[in-house]
Amino acid sequence: MAFKKSLLVASAAWLSAFSTLAEAATVTYDFDVAWVTANPDGAFDRPTIGINGQWPIPQITCNVGDRVVIHVTNSLGNQSTSLHFHGLFQNGTTHMDGPPQVSQCDIPPGHKLTYDFIIDQPGTYWYHSHTRGQYPDGLRGPLIVHDPKAPFEGQYDEELVLSVSDWYHEQIHNLLPAFISKGNPTGAEPVPDNALFNDTQNLKVPVRPGKTYLVRMVNVGAFAGQYVWFEGHNMTIVEVDGVYTQPAEAERIYLTAAQRYSFLLTTKNETGANYAFAGSMDTTLFDAIPDGLNWNVTGWLVYDDTKPLPEPAVLESDDFDAFDDMDLIPFDNQTLLGEPDQVIQFDVIMDNLGDGANYAFFNNITYTAPKVPTLYTALTAGDLANDATVYGEFTNTHVLQKDQIVQIVVNNLDSGRHPFHLHGHQFQTIHRSPADEGTFDDTNTTMTNYPKIPMRRDTVTLEPNGNVVLRFKADNPGKSRSLSSAFNPVLFKGPFADPRIGVWIFHCHLEWHVASGLIATFVESPKQLQETIKLPQDHLDVCAAGHIPVSGNAAGNTVDLLDLNGQNRAPDPLPAGFTARGIVALVFSCVCGILGVAVVTWYGLAPDPGTAGPALQANSSNDSDNGQQGVLAAGGKTAGAPVQTVKTSASVAGR
Amino acid sequence: MPDVFAVPVFVIVFREAIETVIIVSVLLAFLKQTLAGPGRDDRVYKKLIKQVWMGVGLGLLICFIVAGGLIGTFYTVGHDAWQSSEYNYEGAFALVAVAIITPLGVGLLRIGKMQDKWRVKLAKSLEAPISTTGSKAGWLKRFAEKYAMFFLPFITVIREGVEAIVFIAGVTFSAPATAVPLPVVVGLAAGILVGYLLYKGGVTAKLQYFLVAATCLLYLVAAGLFSRAIWYLEQQKWNNIIGGDAAELGVGAGSYDISKSVWHVDCCSPEFNGGGGWAVFNAILGWTNSATYGSVIAYNVYWIFVMAMFVTLRYKETKGHWPLMKAKKGHVDSIDQASVEPKVS
Repeated sequence: MAFKKSLLVASAAWLSAFSTLAEAATVTYDFDVAWVTANPDGAFDRPTIGINGQWPIPQITCNVGDRVVIHVTNSLGNQSTSLHFHGLFQNGTTHMDGPPQVSQCDIPPGHKLTYDFIIDQPGTYWYHSHTRGQYPDGLRGPLIVHDPKAPFEGQYDEELVLSVSDWYHEQIHNLLPAFISKGNPTGAEPVPDNALFNDTQNLKVPVRPGKTYLVRMVNVGAFAGQYVWFEGHNMTIVEVDGVYTQPAEAERIYLTAAQRYSFLLTTKNETGANYAFAGSMDTTLFDAIPDGLNWNVTGWLVYDDTKPLPEPAVLESDDFDAFDDMDLIPFDNQTLLGEPDQVIQFDVIMDNLGDGANYAFFNNITYTAPKVPTLYTALTAGDLANDATVYGEFTNTHVLQKDQIVQIVVNNLDSGRHPFHLHGHQFQTIHRSPADEGTFDDTNTTMTNYPKIPMRRDTVTLEPNGNVVLRFKADNPGKSRSLSSAFNPVLFKGPFADPRIGVWIFHCHLEWHVASGLIATFVESPKQLQETIKLPQDHLDVCAAGHIPVSGNAAGNTVDLLDLNGQNRAPDPLPAGFTARGIVALVFSCVCGILGVAVVTWYGLAPDPGTAGPALQANSSNDSDNGQQGVLAAGGKTAGAPVQTVKTSASVAGR
Repeated sequence: MPDVFAVPVFVIVFREAIETVIIVSVLLAFLKQTLAGPGRDDRVYKKLIKQVWMGVGLGLLICFIVAGGLIGTFYTVGHDAWQSSEYNYEGAFALVAVAIITPLGVGLLRIGKMQDKWRVKLAKSLEAPISTTGSKAGWLKRFAEKYAMFFLPFITVIREGVEAIVFIAGVTFSAPATAVPLPVVVGLAAGILVGYLLYKGGVTAKLQYFLVAATCLLYLVAAGLFSRAIWYLEQQKWNNIIGGDAAELGVGAGSYDISKSVWHVDCCSPEFNGGGGWAVFNAILGWTNSATYGSVIAYNVYWIFVMAMFVTLRYKETKGHWPLMKAKKGHVDSIDQASVEPKVS
């Protein structure tokens, strides 16, 4: 069960043919995904998804240009799984991207699937399950791509990988049904129980004085953004989400779920004291803060383990101003892309549907997975693959063509922060509003005053009630694919696959919002996909095992591709006001009320029965009243008079 | 408006006031008829009139003291302790109110017949002392006889007053404290007005129309209250499910349980922000912007029950026995009379 990692240098034959690829290697991993027990915060033993019997799960490490082969066996027993390699372009290997029902089928328990792709991009990434809500149960870890030509190469002594994460005690498959249910109409996301550094707490990082460390930070959390700072040390940011940047000094950084930063950190020259570093979960994301929640996690740069470990200073929430990533300048100085060929606007809305549960929407569509993975539809829809209709009504699919410049405008109509992630791309972030700026207006010159060299990354924060504008090219953005991948016979049918073609989803990286439907789909150059992608047999096998159709439109219809009958649908909207049953109920109630009033009136005005004298009648027909009044009468009267007397008196009194 | 005027309170006060003023007005009229006028003993007449008013005044005073103590205690001790399961209490109290109101309506329709009845009672009470004069009754009895004109209104006021207080307390469990005083005053005023008109004579027939209208109103309120009682109980369950107060979610999605909803409009709520005019609509007709199966069925079932009740009562009145039961042998009036009267003493 031990985790096996092999670095196989490409065969001599390959080497002799392509001497320029001398360093390219194949990195192979065997991942047996199974439940283990873990207790990273020391507070709660819980079933956790590990790999090869271990948790935390192994880091994937390789060099730029390496081929990575990961053989995944699903030994979970009770859950399907999948792996997504966050931030990778998957040049020509869109079917290795990972999201179930998008580019593959879930791997059912007991089944295997191999991910095989070439990594042509340097930087800090991570991998995680993309199966519904699964990765916060533990299946997430760093993926580091080393680059001998990195601009900061030679400026540091050692590399440190530091993950930060939130942590739940309850398993996600227990939390999800309660989250998306009528009992949670506000869509309040489950609040994490703790925060972690490198999947533990009170992490001690031994450091040596007078050295510079390259710290690669990944937020592998499900929900919480994290503020991170090192007491007594500044950070020099050099990479963000796989994009090298001009060095930028930062005192505190903010990482949303899925974001990465690499920074240089130079240690003190003396070892007189140890220094705390802290992660603090962004509590503005939490609808309510549970009693006793500690949203902070602490670690220490340990210069001398005989010295005390100081508690970090407590910050008032006003002090949480972090480095603004919009200020970063990509090291390659890639300039603003030209005017967009397509502008796609997404309005982010949270609302309730007919089942009473709260869902997340892009433009009134809450993502509902199609019956056929979208990639497989693209591959089997022939010419209609260019028609977004075939991908279904609830996948929010946009078809893009090669070389198009695409602008995505995301308007946040919700009062929460959202980190948006686009698979397979790094986008230029050309405008981001502060909170509460409202929707993007392309006639407003203060909004369209785009930077000449925009910041690029793959996951970007959208502020509450704000907007963000992203631009990317539906093609390789300024870097050519290395030769190596073109000669991988497993991956390609043809030698000239367009690197950017594929099916890529754009989604909020809060795992709760993935589940509640905040996903859109981009299908890029589907005709070329059909020419270049050949699905490996094991990908088709897991579909067969899961009884998932692999051809046809979103509804699995292979005959009439425009007929979406039977597609997976989101619940209907809440009924607006009076429906038929409401009208029937109201009318019936009104009729009943009117009839009732009529009966009361009829009774009240009915003449007394019989023709007996009024006094006698009053007595005879009101037994209960009589009793009451009798008690009263006793106040003014001594004893019960004979009945006969009453009758006589009545006639007297009546005169 | 429901915050300042609880319709059931008005109806209850009005009803009890009418019962009292009927007695007082009959007393006053009787005294005037028998003692006042030229050649009569004006001194005795004035003394007796004074006794009547003293009885009314003292009775009222005692009622106010009792009412003040009871309601004051209720509102100071009661309200805060509920909070988390507030709707359960609201629902339960609404049910109590319905249980009080439902038989009350029957009695209200019969008030019109009281005037005649009280002439009989009065005659009895005036006659009786004469017939018992000279007997060796206790001093208390003689005292009571001497001040009959005091005790009769005094005890009537206390009895009707306490009854009103108990009823109001029951009904106002489901209404805010501020909704009580105004309908009490208005109900008293209306009752006194009716009493004055009765004293002047000639309003008996019109009184019946008025009482019918009041009763109809009362049952409309009761049907709404019963519907709301069920609604409250369901809403409490909903609050428990969502772990908070659904009212904080406004009137939109999540403020109600979709699986139980018959209709829901995102406006016109009788609960949200005090409810405004919709709260009046709710208090009188049982309107809700978010009807549930339970609340709609409850509303209709209540009306069906009321209709059945009156039809049955009418059947009994005209046929002399309950439906589906055999008629008793002979005429029952005198037997009933005999069986009731001994309890009087």
